[in-house]
Amino acid sequence: MSKETPALFGKTKLLEGQIDEFLDKVAEGAIYFERGITAFLEEGNIAETCEEKLLQITGLKERCRDLQRSIVNVLYSEMLIPDFRADVLRLLTDLFSLLDLMGKNFQDLMIERDQNKEIESQIEETENKIGKKEFLDLVQVVVKSIETVIIAARNFFRDPKSVKDHTYQVRVYESEADKIAISLKKKIFATDYKFSEKINLRDIVNAIDSIADLAESVADELDIYAIQRTL
Amino acid sequence: MDLISTFIFLSSGLFLGWSLGANDASNVFGTAVGSRMVRFSTAAVICSVFIIIGSVTAGAGAAGGLGKLGAVNALAGSFTVALAAALTVLWMTKLGLPVSTSQAVVGAIVGWNWFSGSVTNINDLIKIMGTWVACPILAAIFAAVIYKLVVLLIENTKPHLLSLDNNIRWGLILVGAFGSYTLGANNIGNVMGVFVPSSPFENLKIAGIFDISAVEQLFLLGAIAIAVGVFTYSKQVMMTVGGSLMTLSPVGALVVVLANSLVLFTFSSQELSNFVVGLGLPPIPLIPVSSSQAVVGAVIGIALLKGIKGVRQVKWGVLGGIASGWITTPVIAAIISFVLLFIVQNVFNQEVYQTASVPVSTPVIEVLGDKS
Repeated sequence: MSKETPALFGKTKLLEGQIDEFLDKVAEGAIYFERGITAFLEEGNIAETCEEKLLQITGLKERCRDLQRSIVNVLYSEMLIPDFRADVLRLLTDLFSLLDLMGKNFQDLMIERDQNKEIESQIEETENKIGKKEFLDLVQVVVKSIETVIIAARNFFRDPKSVKDHTYQVRVYESEADKIAISLKKKIFATDYKFSEKINLRDIVNAIDSIADLAESVADELDIYAIQRTL
Repeated sequence: MDLISTFIFLSSGLFLGWSLGANDASNVFGTAVGSRMVRFSTAAVICSVFIIIGSVTAGAGAAGGLGKLGAVNALAGSFTVALAAALTVLWMTKLGLPVSTSQAVVGAIVGWNWFSGSVTNINDLIKIMGTWVACPILAAIFAAVIYKLVVLLIENTKPHLLSLDNNIRWGLILVGAFGSYTLGANNIGNVMGVFVPSSPFENLKIAGIFDISAVEQLFLLGAIAIAVGVFTYSKQVMMTVGGSLMTLSPVGALVVVLANSLVLFTFSSQELSNFVVGLGLPPIPLIPVSSSQAVVGAVIGIALLKGIKGVRQVKWGVLGGIASGWITTPVIAAIISFVLLFIVQNVFNQEVYQTASVPVSTPVIEVLGDKS
């Protein structure tokens, strides 16, 4: 606990470290999400890897929540960065919701595993029509959007002028994710699956795509924060 | 003269000091306190201590500059001149007109010259008015150059937002201390300058070691009045000063305070003036200048540096008000000073000036005779 309240210079360094750790954890979450979904699609059932990745994401969420609380407490109680602390608070909240959404969507996928088992086998059977590759492409583009938004968030703290270069890339990834999602959904509804299965598959696509949408929203907010920070 | 009478006569100067502390401390610590980067109590203590140090150790230069315009040689006259300046500031502030204590004091001294029949040295007056114009321009140049350098430094070193905040916080405290020192050194002339020729104090020697001259005692008293103004009334001004001319980033705020401090330092440092003379340039006139106008100049300097985007953000009407104040403030102060001197002399029977006789030697009479 004493480490949480060091002297004035120490506090700055501690907070910088906490913010960096927070961003690292969100980026780590994106990796676990990608690995988990990949394992889920490739192994076709709830493998040990999937359970492990879900647990890891849950652990990251807890750590990020603690870090967020600690950062905001120090920022407000020590009256640090008065002009930007509200922006930092919103940014951390937005990034946490990204991690939260990844965890939630991945968990939903696991909960619906009985249904998914069947879907998984259908995906394999109809490789040419829906194909795992397209699902994996979607996951990869979504994860790319998260990784890029994390880079933009890091730059907000050190080099606000370069934020827009990365937020632009996030928009490109989001747009790519939308294209893949639309293509996937068209293919899903062109199959002869039961309607309920089509709806279930569409929901999975939407759930994954929605993470890129959220990344884009965070990027939009980041653009505004960066303009405010520009000297 | 007894102590009570002395304080009564000094009261108008002390009031000027109080109002200077209440208003001008915000030029030094306003942004820092208004944005809650620095606590008011911290700012007030630093500001007061450094104003006192600046006033006592370096106040003589700028106060001497005012003395060249007119040496008010009777204590009642000094009281009236300072009162006229204070009333001008109070009245113009109530009317919402931009006003500078420095300009009011100059006007009031010219009013005394006018009343006492003393000659106002036009060259000195022009020099003083020149500093009023030079002050915001110089502040703009300083601010633009410093801002450019600071931005380049930040862009190259890319400090973390929190480290930058920490550095700016310390910067605001250090620059605020320097600004307070220069505010004391430069503006004590406004508060106590008119009392110097008629100082009621005697030179003191403390414990046989420290010499405290009559002028230093006068300046110490004035500086304490400024410090009281800082503690009692500047908080409200500091809290409302932010963003009045243009919204500034914390870096911009730091640069504005530094530019303001450098301008005040320029017009109050005897050493700097001597250095400039050593370079073969004309000496810098040591005159009390308006720190509020220096701040406006510095903000505009940063705005101009930012190009059209910055220019659009500035409330340009404020500049027009300042320029008009260069004429209206001294004229109003001179008239009020003249009227008050008349009242104090004829109603209260006080000596507001002493007639000085200047012996003229025979060669001078011959020269004048030849010229005529």
